[in-house]
Parts: sequence; C-alpha cells; structure tokens
Amino acid sequence: MSASAGSSRLKRMTKRTEFWIFLVLIVMCIFIQARSGGQLFTANTIVTILRSMCVDGMFAMICLIVMVSGGFDLSFPAVAALAYSLATTICLNNGWCQTNPIAGFVLSIIIGAVLGMLNGWIISNFKLNTMIVTLGTQTFFTGLSMGLLKMKEITSTLPAGLASFGKWALFTVKVDMNGRELSYDMTGMFIPFVIFCIVTSFVLNKTMFGRALYAIGGNETSAERAGYNVKRIKFILYTVVGAASGFVGMVRVCMARQSIPKAMIGKEMTIIPAVILGGASIFGGEGTVFGTVCAVAIITVVSNSMLLIGIDSYWQDFFNGLIILVGVTVSAVQAMRRNK
Amino acid sequence: MKEFVNKNRYMTMLLGLLAVILVLFTITKGSLLWTGGTWKGIVMQFPEYGVITLGIMFCFVSGHIDMSFVALGDFASIIAVRYMAAHTPENGTNGQIMGVILVGLLIAVLIGALGGVINGVLIAYLNIPPVMATIAMQLVWLGLSTALTQGYAVNGVPALYTEIGHSNVFGFIPFPLLVFIIVFIICAFLLKFTTYGEKLYMLGSNIKAAKFSGINTKAMLIGTFVFADVVATIGCMLMVSSNNSAKADYGTSYVMQVILILVLAGVLPDGGLGKITNVVLAIVTVQIISSCINMFKDLNIYYANMIWGGLLIVVLILGTKLNGEGLIRKKKKA
Amino acid sequence: MSEYLLEMKGICKSFAGVRALDHVNFKVRPGKVMCLAGENGCGKSTLVKIISGVYTRDEGEVIFEGQPVTKITPAEATRMGIQVIYQDLSIFPNLTVMENLAINSEITAGVKFVNRKRWEETAKEALSKIGYNIDLYAKMGELSVADKQLVAICRALLFNAKLIIMDEPTTALTKKEVDALFTTVRQLRDSGIAIMFISHKTEEIFEISDDVCIMRNGKNVYSGLTSELTPDQFTYYMTGRELTNDRFEPKNISREPVLKVDQLTLPGNYENVTFSLRKGEILGITGLLGSGRTELALSLFGLNNPKSGTITLNGSQVKITSPMKAQKLKIGYVPEDRLTEGLCLQQPIADNITLASLKRLSNALGILKHQDILDDAQIWKEKFSIATDDVRKFASTLSGGNQQKIVLSKWLSNDLDVLILNGPTVGVDVGAKQDIHALVHELANEGLAVIIISDDLSEVVTNCNRVIVMKEGRIVGEMDGDQVTEDNILEIIR
Repeated sequence: MSASAGSSRLKRMTKRTEFWIFLVLIVMCIFIQARSGGQLFTANTIVTILRSMCVDGMFAMICLIVMVSGGFDLSFPAVAALAYSLATTICLNNGWCQTNPIAGFVLSIIIGAVLGMLNGWIISNFKLNTMIVTLGTQTFFTGLSMGLLKMKEITSTLPAGLASFGKWALFTVKVDMNGRELSYDMTGMFIPFVIFCIVTSFVLNKTMFGRALYAIGGNETSAERAGYNVKRIKFILYTVVGAASGFVGMVRVCMARQSIPKAMIGKEMTIIPAVILGGASIFGGEGTVFGTVCAVAIITVVSNSMLLIGIDSYWQDFFNGLIILVGVTVSAVQAMRRNK
Repeated sequence: MKEFVNKNRYMTMLLGLLAVILVLFTITKGSLLWTGGTWKGIVMQFPEYGVITLGIMFCFVSGHIDMSFVALGDFASIIAVRYMAAHTPENGTNGQIMGVILVGLLIAVLIGALGGVINGVLIAYLNIPPVMATIAMQLVWLGLSTALTQGYAVNGVPALYTEIGHSNVFGFIPFPLLVFIIVFIICAFLLKFTTYGEKLYMLGSNIKAAKFSGINTKAMLIGTFVFADVVATIGCMLMVSSNNSAKADYGTSYVMQVILILVLAGVLPDGGLGKITNVVLAIVTVQIISSCINMFKDLNIYYANMIWGGLLIVVLILGTKLNGEGLIRKKKKA
Repeated sequence: MSEYLLEMKGICKSFAGVRALDHVNFKVRPGKVMCLAGENGCGKSTLVKIISGVYTRDEGEVIFEGQPVTKITPAEATRMGIQVIYQDLSIFPNLTVMENLAINSEITAGVKFVNRKRWEETAKEALSKIGYNIDLYAKMGELSVADKQLVAICRALLFNAKLIIMDEPTTALTKKEVDALFTTVRQLRDSGIAIMFISHKTEEIFEISDDVCIMRNGKNVYSGLTSELTPDQFTYYMTGRELTNDRFEPKNISREPVLKVDQLTLPGNYENVTFSLRKGEILGITGLLGSGRTELALSLFGLNNPKSGTITLNGSQVKITSPMKAQKLKIGYVPEDRLTEGLCLQQPIADNITLASLKRLSNALGILKHQDILDDAQIWKEKFSIATDDVRKFASTLSGGNQQKIVLSKWLSNDLDVLILNGPTVGVDVGAKQDIHALVHELANEGLAVIIISDDLSEVVTNCNRVIVMKEGRIVGEMDGDQVTEDNILEIIR
C-alpha cells in the first residue's frame, strides 16, 4: 500500500511543471558552474543573485496569486510606482522617515491598497477581460503619477530612514580580488522576500481564501454554485495585491536608495512570463510558489551569470525570451498531448 | 438618427467624445488649437502608430492578441537602417540611394513577415496562448536588437529617407499621412470587400465553427499575423524617418497605446468585432487629445496617459452595454 | 408527515413578460425516482432553478416534507436537503478529487483554514455513501465523465440530501456507464432518497423511473406513474402530436454508390468499417456514445485521419485530409455541437449561412458580392422558414431550431454529393425538427446522399432507409427497408 502510494506520488510529482523547472534550474546551475570555472557557486555571486531576486520574486508572488484566480494583472508595476513615489514624496515633504522606514511603508501600502480597490471594483462588478482592464488602470495610474501628481525622481534627498533600511545587511561576504578586498552585502530585503513566499504559500494552500482562488480559476460558475462569494473574493484579492505591490515598490526604493517614478514601466513584461514559466496557467487554477521561485531563480541566474560564461550581458533579454518561449512551448505541447 | 446611433454605437460615442474634447479645448486654448501648425502636427504624428494600429486590428478581429509588434518592428528597422547606412554611396545619385532605400525597406518587410510567420506558427500549430507566445517573442526581438546595438541608436539613415518622410506629396499631403491613407484603403478593402475579411470576422467569433465550415484556419492565422506584423513594421519604418535613427526601444509605449485605441474603437481581443472606420476615428481622437495636452505648458504628456487609461476603463464599462447584454454578467437574484 | 417529499402547486414564472412556467404541479415521493421529461425549452431547467432557489417563483405553492416553504434561497435549498447535479457537474478540474468532495461542506461550515485531514475524512465519508472507490489525490480533470459524475453524486450526498436532482446525467455516458449510474441511482432510491431525473430519452425514462412528469411549453401535461404510460403515449405527451408514420421512402436511388468506405480503421476510434452509400439514400449510423460513430463521421470530413482502409468517392479513391479537401470533394458535415462547432453566434445570420460557399459568392479575385450573399441567405430563410425578419441580425437572436436550420443551410447552399448530419435535431423544437426532416427527405429525393448519425432511434427509423449500427468501433449490424425498426436496432445495440 505505502509503496504503491509512494510510487504514484512520485509519478504525480514528475507530472508537475515545478518538478521539471526545478530540474532545469539545477542542470543549468551545474552547467554554468562548469563553464565558468566554478564561479557560480561562490559566496559573492550567490549573494548578488539573491539580492537581485528579492524584488522580482515578490512581484512574481503577486502575479502568481492573481493568475491562480484566472486573472491577468498588468497594472501592479504602475500601482507600485505610484504608491512608492507618492509615499516617499509625502515623507520627504513632512520630514518623516528620518530614523525608520515605517511611515513610508505604511503610506505606500495604503496607497497601493486604494489603487488595488479600483481594480477590484471594476473586475468584480463587470465581467471584463482582466488583461484589458488592468492595461487601462496601468495607463491611468502612470498618467496620474507623472501627469497630475507630477512625481519627481528622489535620489540623494531620499529620507535617511528609507536609505539606511535598504542598506541593512544580514551578513557581508568579503572577497579578495587581485589583492583588493571587495565586500558583498547579503541584503536584509531577503527576509521580506522569504516572508512573502511563505505567506503566499500559506494563503494559497492553507486558507480557504487561497483554495477559493484556485476554485475560481478552475471554474468560476462552479465556485459560485459551491457557495463562494466570488465578487467579494475578487475585490479582496485585488485590494491585497495592490497593498502588496505598494510594499514591494517601497522595498525597491529602499534597496535602490532612490525613488524613480518611471522605473517600473514594463516590469510586468518580464515578471508575468517568469510566473508562467513556473507553471502558472494564464487560464487560471494552476501554479505554485515553489515553481514560481524556481522560474524567477532561473531567469535571475541566467541574467547574472552571462558574463561568467563569456556571453555579453546585452544578450540577457534574448535569452530570457528564449527560455520563456521554450517554457511555454513545452507546456503547450504537453497540454496538446493530454487532450489527444 | 436613432437607427444610426443604434447601429453605430461606438462611432456615436467616439464622435461625441471628439466633439466634447474639441469644444473644451476651443474654449480653453482656441487660439492655439485652430492653427495650421497644430493640425499639421496632428496629421504628422498619428500615422506612425495609426499604421501599426490598423495592422494589429487584424489580429484582434481574428480573436488573437499581439504584444511583439513594436519589438519586431524595431528589430526590422535596426537591420534595415544598418543595411542602408552601410550601402548608401557617399556621393551617389538620388536614384542610387533610392535603390538602397527600397532594398532596406524590403529587408524590413521581410523581417516583419518572418516575425508574423513565427507568431502564427507558435499560435496555430503549437497552440501556445497568443499573449504568451507574443510576449516571449517580444523579449526575443528586443533581446536581439539590444544585443546587436548594445542599446545604442543606429544612425546613418540616408538623408533622402528622412527627406521623403518629411515631404509633402502633391505639396500638401504629408508623406506619413499618405502612407496611412494607403494602408487604410488596403485594410478597409480587405476587411469589407474580400472573402478573406469575411472569413476573418467569422473565424474571430468562433474559430472551431470556421474550421468546420471548411476554412483553413491555420493558414488564415499565419497569413493574418504576417499581414499585421508587416503593416506594423511599416509603421516602425515611419518612426525611423521621424527619429532619423533606429533603436531597440523606440515606441515601446505604442504596444499599450495600440491596444487601447483598438478597445476604444470597439475592437476587442475576443475577436469578431469592430469596424475599421471606428479605429481611424479612435486614432484621430487619441492624437487630438495628446496634441491638445501638449498645448498646455504646465501639462506634460503623461496627462494624456491618464485620460487614455480613464477612457479605456469607461469605454470598457460602457462597452458591456454597447455590445449588447452578452458581455455583462446577469444579475443573480438570491 | 406527508406522503410526498416535495409538492409544487400552480407554479408560475415569467421572464420579461414571457411565461416560462404556467401553473405547473407535481409531486416527488421519497425513495422513488421521479422523471422530469420534456423537449428542450419546455421549462424543465427553469423549474429546477426554482426548486434549487436560483430563481424565485412568481406564483404557486411549495410544500416540502409537509411544510409550506415561502421563499427558497440556494442556501435554504441545501439546508432542506435539496441537491442539484448540473449537467456540467460543477466540478473543479484543476483540484484533486478530495478537495472537490470536501470544498462545499467546508464553505458551508464557514471554515477559514485548510484542514486536509478533515478533508480526507469528509471525502472518504462521501465515497462510502455509495461504496465508490477512487484515488483521492487524482486530479479531477483527468477522470472520465462517468467518474466525475459519481464524484458529483457523492458530493451531493454529503449534505444529507433528501432530494437529488440530476440534470440530463446520461448525455455524455456510454451504455456501460449509464448502467452503472442507474445501479447507483437505484441504490440511492432504496436508501430513501428521492431522485429527480431530468431526461428526454424514452428508453431511459422507462428503465429507471417510478413516476414521471412530462412538460411541454411551460405546462405539465402529464404526471403519474410511469407504469401507466406506454411509450407511444409518452411521445405524444412530449411532442404534442401523434406519432406519424411519414417514413422516408427513397424514390431516386442511383445504381452506383457515390461513397464507398472499405476497411477503414483508426485504432482506438473504429475498426474495419465498410459500407457504401448511393445517391438518394439516407443512411443512418447509430450506436451509443463511444461507439465510434462521431469519430467515423469526422474522418469522412477530414478531421480525424484514418490509419488504414480506403474511401472511394464517385469511383475514384480519395484521401480526405482536411475539411477544405472534404468541401472540394463535395462532402458537407453538420456537426454535433451546434454552438461550439456550427455557428458564429455574434455574426449575422446571412454571413453564417454563406460561410461555406464564399467561393461561389465572390469573384476570381476573392472580392465579395454582398448583394448575392444577402439574396442567398434570403432564399434559405424562405425555403427553411427561418424565423427572423432580417438576415442581417445576429445568429444569437434565434432559437435552437432556427439556429440548426442555419447550420444546415450553410452546407446545403453548396453543391454537395454527400451530406453528413451528426445529431441534426439535438435540442431542436418539434416544429423545426419536422421542417428539417422534410427538407432532408426532399434533398435525398433530388439525388443527395445523406448520412444521419444519431442516437435518437425514432429519428433514425423514420428518416433512414438503411441503418448501420455501431458498437465499440465496429459495425455490428446493418438493416434496410422494413427491417429498420426501433426494436431491431435495440436488439443489436445492447
């Protein structure tokens, strides 16, 4: 009994996208490690890669939960941008956040939530293509931020509390480079990233709200018949997603030590494909945190280690595109086989 | 009158919108708005993305979406400009240079067609959801362009090319506008008067039924993507003449703008819907909005974004009524 | 305690002034199978939605377990023990069997967090109700329709169901699966649960039900014991007309066959299929779901390429590799599922009718002749009496029967040698059904070779001069002329 259950569990596991994505990640890492003469698995490279994963990884979590519910959110970068620009500007003007970043984060989260509510209201009240709706709100929020509110770049004047929070290091790796000692900080922002993953995973797997998202993504009519208040769930989802975008945006501001309203434009075009590569379906109802993290890791590792294996970093977008193309092709062909 | 409104709800809405905008700006900036310069600017600017929009409309009518067209067009124009820059003779005659330009254009069109074929094959034969296939291709083309140019603009556009782009045909039609008009005539003809257009609308509203009616849906899709992407590439070649160079990220904002215009015109990516005259009306409306906003010194171009985004949302919500009850969720009474 | 579990008296319901239900009365006894029968559009589903609380009745009385019920909400219906198993089964294909089973009761209980252990218990309890065994961790979407249905039944039983309403549960099942389902239904019945079984298939109704309630045009025209009803009476009540015997008499059969199929095989679909078809004939191909009838039809239309065997058309051997090729070879196909395969609903009627004959309605350059298209559509509108005032209106504005007429016109306006009709009158009202049959007879007598694929035996018997019966991918019987009777077919089919 247990042996056969074990083997069937193994069989189920090999059917899952995240299993293969994980394998690809491992194989790729080994390949890069070999080609680069062992430069990938060095403390400084890993610290750098983990650092660049933080913000994208958190955005990916946001994207993931929307996709699980069968939605498609193009507006989260615009929400984040508007939220952090406005929040830092308010902090700057009022002299807040001189010692700690709390006010900035709270403001950013609140603004994000409000913007998210607008998405949520439209999407839950009208049966519309979520991609087009969020395209509209994305354009609107960007216009609002840089047009009406005239958000400016805040660089050297960034409140000290935010800047120092961004410098928070868990530990520092020191490397001897031709006699010069270089130090690499392991960013403290990795903590919110890990928390994000845990919370997303918890919500998706351990709460009825998360299961509702899978149910709605799988079959919205059935979800309604089963007794879910689909409208309310969608409203809450987009509000939470807005708040989370505000938070992640602020993390980015802290890490970059500058608030640039334009910095987020086009971000959705790299995050969404990564989430899909990780096994989420654009038709909803599929996707896991583990798969998404693996996919983000693949893309980050590729971007960060191109130079290590002697490829010009200008090829980064091309390889990202290629990986995603292969990923979506494989899953489409698999789906075709299953239907036959 | 009432019948016209009922039959052309989107057109009525767009005309109403246009009227409101014109009245509003006539009151606030009438002296600036009604000048030759302003209108010349308007007709010079919209053909660029107008041409692209007309092409991508075909994808939307077929029930598919394309996100790759600007990246593809940029790549094509980079290659074309590189070719033109390398082969333009220093002191060549206009005829010689014209030859080089034509070859350059041909190269661009062929690359556009190649991109269309790839999109079509990915979607029709490999069954990849169009959004995904074309986002991935967008990254691929952008990546290729970036890798080739290291992110720099490619210069060396023959002077003649820019000259033509800024010329007035017959002394009063700006060249880009002429291109737009020609493309419009071809598109309108294809959609309204040919079996291809007829089949395209039917395929867009139910691809399976089209297949069961003996239509070669795969060939149709590939053909549609080729046409759309070639037309979009032509739009990008117009961009080359106004920028006097090609670059990996020229016109990236056009992706969203094109989708926005199409939805504004009632051409939804769900397929089978929309009239080309409405699309032209929407293109002009969008351009007038941004030109008008440009007249205010204290307003930057992002105001236009705000208005467009807001409009899109309002149109979508209104659209649930404009397209009949099919789109709106029936109120459930518990 | 009343003798009846549920009594409904004088139920009326109107939508936008149109009366969908007109003083409907019926009763459900506990521990019995009650069949709600009627043609499409007779108000069956409206009635079900009133019972399950989705719609509110305009007038009438509902008595459940002897107690009058004033207002039913979906939650109230569940609490009272009424469970509906919809035709689409309301399942979540992306979730496991276990979650599908547990989700409803978890929601009803207002639980906030997941407790997989409790889910598993719930799921096991549900399965044990009918002694059904299945991998709890299997993905729902990967199960067969029959398994999905059993899971849906188990889920319904979790709510201490007293009345289970099953909406057309046998539509997508094979005969074997139907038998298994009926065994389960009887088992439930014997445990005291009332089953309301919605169907329009005569044989099934007589096989399974104790009571029957027949509806027509929003009224119930018969309710009582099934045993007091003969199949002929049943059909009369269903359709409102005496069973006429205007059987198709071929008048004009060619000597040479137009289509010959020899040893056609596609493993897993059908094997060694051999038959021939002459002009002027209407050949029926019948068999249960999964017998290979649809797969065979698709092969003849180029959508399901056979592995071996030959197809000969007008004396020359052909390979039909795509619908385009089939069309060139003058073969037309009216698909099974009108809405997904046959129509572009959001397009004008005229464009739908002329979709397959655009070549004829355009010039050599592919330029459309708009007037010809409208004229052509107009001709078909009149010939088929399609109920519309303007062929430029959307196809979605028509009723099912009229929509089917469009799909037929689409092929008939082509010059055809062979026309394949797959389920030509599924979901079509009686009037339109007669129109369609009459036109097919006329066309056959004009020299068209027709194949009707159907599991509606009365349709096959009245319309076909020759019938092939398929079972598990093989031809198991062929009969023609007077041999074609429902009994003869039934004998082979089982």
